[in-house]
Amino acid sequence: MLPTLLSQVANGLVLGSLIGLIALGYTMVYGIIQLINFAHGEIFMVGAYGGLAALTYLLPAAIANQWYLALPIALVAGAVIAALVAVAAERFAYRPLRDAPRLAPLITALGVSVALQEAVRVFYPDATAALPFPSIFIEGTLEIPVPGGTVPIKYAGILLALVSLALAAGLQVFVDRSRTGRAMRATAQDRDIARLMGIDPDRVIVLTFLIGGALAGVGGVLYGGYLNNINIDMGFQNGIFAFTAAVLGGIGSIRGAVVGGLAIGLVKSLGGQYLPGGTAYDYVWIFVVLIVVLVFRPQGFFGETERVRA
Amino acid sequence: MTAPILEAAGVTMVFGGLTALKDVSFTLRDGEIIGLIGPNGAGKTTLFNCLTGLYAPSRGAVALRGTRLACDPARVTAAGVARTFQNIRLFPGMTATENVLVGRHVRMTQGPLSSLLHGPRFRRSEAEAAERAEKLLAFVGLTRFADELARNLPYGDQRRLEIARALATEPSVLLLDEPTAGMNAQETQSTRQLILAIRDLGVSVVVIEHDTKFIFTLCDRVLVLVQGELLVAGTPDEVRGDPRVVEAYLGAPPEEIEAQIHRSEV
Amino acid sequence: MTTVQSPVPASAAPVSGRARGAGARGAAWLRVAGGLLAVLGALLPWATFVLNEGPYPEKATLQFFVAPLGLTGFRLHLALLGLAAILVSVRAVRGRARIVRALGWGIVATSLVNGLYITVEGGGLGAITASGGSAAFGAVVALIGGAFAAAGAVGGGIEPLPVREWRMPWWAEWLLLLVLFGLLLLVVSAVLTSGGQGGVVNPYAGAVFLSFLAAAGGAFAALHASGLLTWLAAVAERHRVFSIVVLLVMALLLPLTGAGTEYWMTVAANIGVYAATAIGLNIVVGLAGLLDLGYVAFLGIGAFVAANLSGAAASEIGIRLPFPLVMIISAVVAGLFGAVVGSPTLRVRGDYLAIVTLAFGEIFVRSAQNNIGGLTGGANAIPNIPQVSAFGTAFNESIAIGAVTLPAGVLYYVLIVLLVAVVMLVFGNLKNSRLGRAWIAIREDEDAARAMGIRTGPIKILAFLIGATLAGLAGAFFAHKTAVVAYDSFRFLESVTLLAAVILGGMGTIPGAVFGASILFVLPEKLREFADYRLLLFGLALVVIMRFRPQGIIPDRHRRTELAPVTAQDPPPAKGAEA
Repeated sequence: MLPTLLSQVANGLVLGSLIGLIALGYTMVYGIIQLINFAHGEIFMVGAYGGLAALTYLLPAAIANQWYLALPIALVAGAVIAALVAVAAERFAYRPLRDAPRLAPLITALGVSVALQEAVRVFYPDATAALPFPSIFIEGTLEIPVPGGTVPIKYAGILLALVSLALAAGLQVFVDRSRTGRAMRATAQDRDIARLMGIDPDRVIVLTFLIGGALAGVGGVLYGGYLNNINIDMGFQNGIFAFTAAVLGGIGSIRGAVVGGLAIGLVKSLGGQYLPGGTAYDYVWIFVVLIVVLVFRPQGFFGETERVRA
Repeated sequence: MTAPILEAAGVTMVFGGLTALKDVSFTLRDGEIIGLIGPNGAGKTTLFNCLTGLYAPSRGAVALRGTRLACDPARVTAAGVARTFQNIRLFPGMTATENVLVGRHVRMTQGPLSSLLHGPRFRRSEAEAAERAEKLLAFVGLTRFADELARNLPYGDQRRLEIARALATEPSVLLLDEPTAGMNAQETQSTRQLILAIRDLGVSVVVIEHDTKFIFTLCDRVLVLVQGELLVAGTPDEVRGDPRVVEAYLGAPPEEIEAQIHRSEV
Repeated sequence: MTTVQSPVPASAAPVSGRARGAGARGAAWLRVAGGLLAVLGALLPWATFVLNEGPYPEKATLQFFVAPLGLTGFRLHLALLGLAAILVSVRAVRGRARIVRALGWGIVATSLVNGLYITVEGGGLGAITASGGSAAFGAVVALIGGAFAAAGAVGGGIEPLPVREWRMPWWAEWLLLLVLFGLLLLVVSAVLTSGGQGGVVNPYAGAVFLSFLAAAGGAFAALHASGLLTWLAAVAERHRVFSIVVLLVMALLLPLTGAGTEYWMTVAANIGVYAATAIGLNIVVGLAGLLDLGYVAFLGIGAFVAANLSGAAASEIGIRLPFPLVMIISAVVAGLFGAVVGSPTLRVRGDYLAIVTLAFGEIFVRSAQNNIGGLTGGANAIPNIPQVSAFGTAFNESIAIGAVTLPAGVLYYVLIVLLVAVVMLVFGNLKNSRLGRAWIAIREDEDAARAMGIRTGPIKILAFLIGATLAGLAGAFFAHKTAVVAYDSFRFLESVTLLAAVILGGMGTIPGAVFGASILFVLPEKLREFADYRLLLFGLALVVIMRFRPQGIIPDRHRRTELAPVTAQDPPPAKGAEA
């Protein structure tokens, strides 16, 4: 019993930290321009394919076999490609709609999401099926002995969780301490006032998409290394989970995104293990959590309440 | 002296630690026009929101003809209290006529089924509503804009359309939140005529205005709200002469009053 | 200094005025030249050699002079568009610049489609210019002609859309409408059949169809530019009931035209299902302004309910009820689920609500995939749902009335036409009622709507309930027509497609939803060779539409849907009421 529980908790925390990492992109973008960037999950997916492309086509086999070279290169490639796509989406799809009613950018985001997923499917070689992702990372599994058995955790999973949490912490420090971070917070409060204070909101928004995209790209590569295969649907699913996490934690809040992500990860792994229906229904539980949170506590763990004005 | 039609008793509104309204009581009599003045942030619009059920007062109650009003704007409107908004809130994508027809909502009895089937009774009620809307638009002088989208109307006419829409609910009390804001002298004058004509229809009116001259020459009684408290209530002459009002409100340097007239409260 | 400077702008003004005069004359010449070039392009050869899959479309040279009536296909369209451009350019027609601009773009689009296709298939620009001793240039000349016409039109200045207020005796207007809708039927039939059914029959089907679409689009845009379409719409509005009856009759006559094959009956039935569902969605999104991203679930619920009550062997509930009763039960069940899904609207607004509906949609798909309660068949689906039958005739059989044999599936077609008509009636009647106005008021400003006495909660739930009911009706039809109901017909992408149909056509309008559904389901049928790019183009199209025409192709009179651009006084700011 105990080993099962603990290994599900471990699985949940690994998945949850990834979801939290993706959720950072949702939460930052929503915090600043109140857009549910539906395509953000696809940015994560694009990052994974970007990393795979770098490993497959860019690097000579000699380097691709050295994990301490291949890993950083794959991460950088995934981050750069994902960030570029995110910024391009902002520039060409969202920015023209900056002052449109809110449903218009949301539908545009749906369009970007479908287009990105399809672009990868059509143009990436053999992407119609799941692709194997090379085991460039530390292979093997850590076996933690506990009463009644062992709890296995893949080293790649530990790496994924540690990098995700470190990046989230770094982002929190960046937003709290740096000049640019202050500009981001000011823009989130009131874009027009920020402009009067000499902040260029467009720059801040681009930066937000850039950072969110890069983080998602890193997440994509790590996820590929963790599961050893990637497919074009991974963005949509994990994107929805991440959005749920962002709302659960309180949209706009960085630590909220991480806590929400971990909570969602645990709901998925523990719900799949212990709730009726098993893993076939683990997705359903996440959506149930999403609905309940949106209906009863839309401000999440760390968000502020909104008051209706007349 | 006629019986009070609207009565606010000890209305108190607290937001977090901030007391926006403190123990405000007043009565509105049949056929009366009351002016509500006060500096910015005095709580005038908050009082309107409490009267119309948009806010639930922390303490106190509002009664219409002795019946306590619910804290639900829809039911308050159905009971007979209609309002306009300080920052115009028409339905911008609907025509002037349609805006007024929406005001008829509470006085029409079509259920979903009759809306679906369009039977003879439905057509009668539509025809009647259309006729009323036409009359109301004529009443506020907007006949020529009947089929124009609300958002395309000139600013002053948008305020008039908001009044027509409120009148369409057949209110016995009409609350006007700064009906002349942003208007020139001529438009202000015609708004005054309009308010008097509304009173002559048998509707009691409460007006929020910063233009004290407008209030003093229009209203039967004036309430002065300062920092959430009702400071003075009386006839225009009484209020004008009251030293507390002069000190609290009119005593401010002229340019500040000027600024207050053009600024607005939240 | 000032005295020296002042004459400069003074003299500049008349110069620029003269320049404008000369420019206008130049623009007129440009328009005529454009039309002439388009006609010339139509007469020139288009390909320098015969493509691998046979002549495209005919590798003829100056065949006009050999057989003046032999000009067919896209070259006929080009010639007609070009002649129209010349005629309109030399005569004083109201809205001339707009008309010529539309014709010009039509010519550009038509020649681009064909030119590009030949270029790509023929392996380079040589295929449409000169190579191997033969010369073509038809595409190039026509393209330049179209560009000239459009540029000439724009250069002369674009005047506002002309308004025409002709009145005729009622019988003449009836006759006009009759002819008009008859023509519409022929156009629809021609669009459906142009290029054949694709694949083996005609290797060029996709290109021929796209070319036809481009030419027809140009012609329609020109008609619109002349103010005629608006006028015709006003005439139709004056005789609303007559128009509806005639349109219905024309729709029922489609099986008698060239499109009356089993294949097109099936496609039309599918379009009908999604059109009916889209109209239901249009109540929720277009009227009440509530974005629903899981709407296809209601179609699915209707379909699964119908499947379970059809007596299909694989269904959990093994009873068979009469089809009309099944339809009603499906609609009611879907409507109840609609009310459940809509209930969060009491607390959740805007894009959060959209996400809640998405979550409900996903829960439905996952549950159906896992064969919840044995009701959905899971991955095995529910197959072998019996056909609807009446008077001993199954609806998928072909029927013969006298000498006329109607294609198989015609009865389903008739049924779906009637169903769509009913759904349209429901939508139209509700829209023009107290309830419809309340929905639109909520869409425009929910707080103000409440202040007007509208109990927004129940009325929003009612929007979901009625919309879902309509989708449930369509679902019952869908189950019997396709005979198989599987969970993967109701995934997120289908919801997005429905939403796109509503937005593409125009939110809040009936023709919009039908038109949008038609485009989204006819195009994939026609463009099989682009099947791989279908969703990619679809996603890009959503982005482009939101950017350039958020009000859709057939916009509502209430132009500010949730999507149209905002103007100055729009959403009230939280503070500050200065004019």
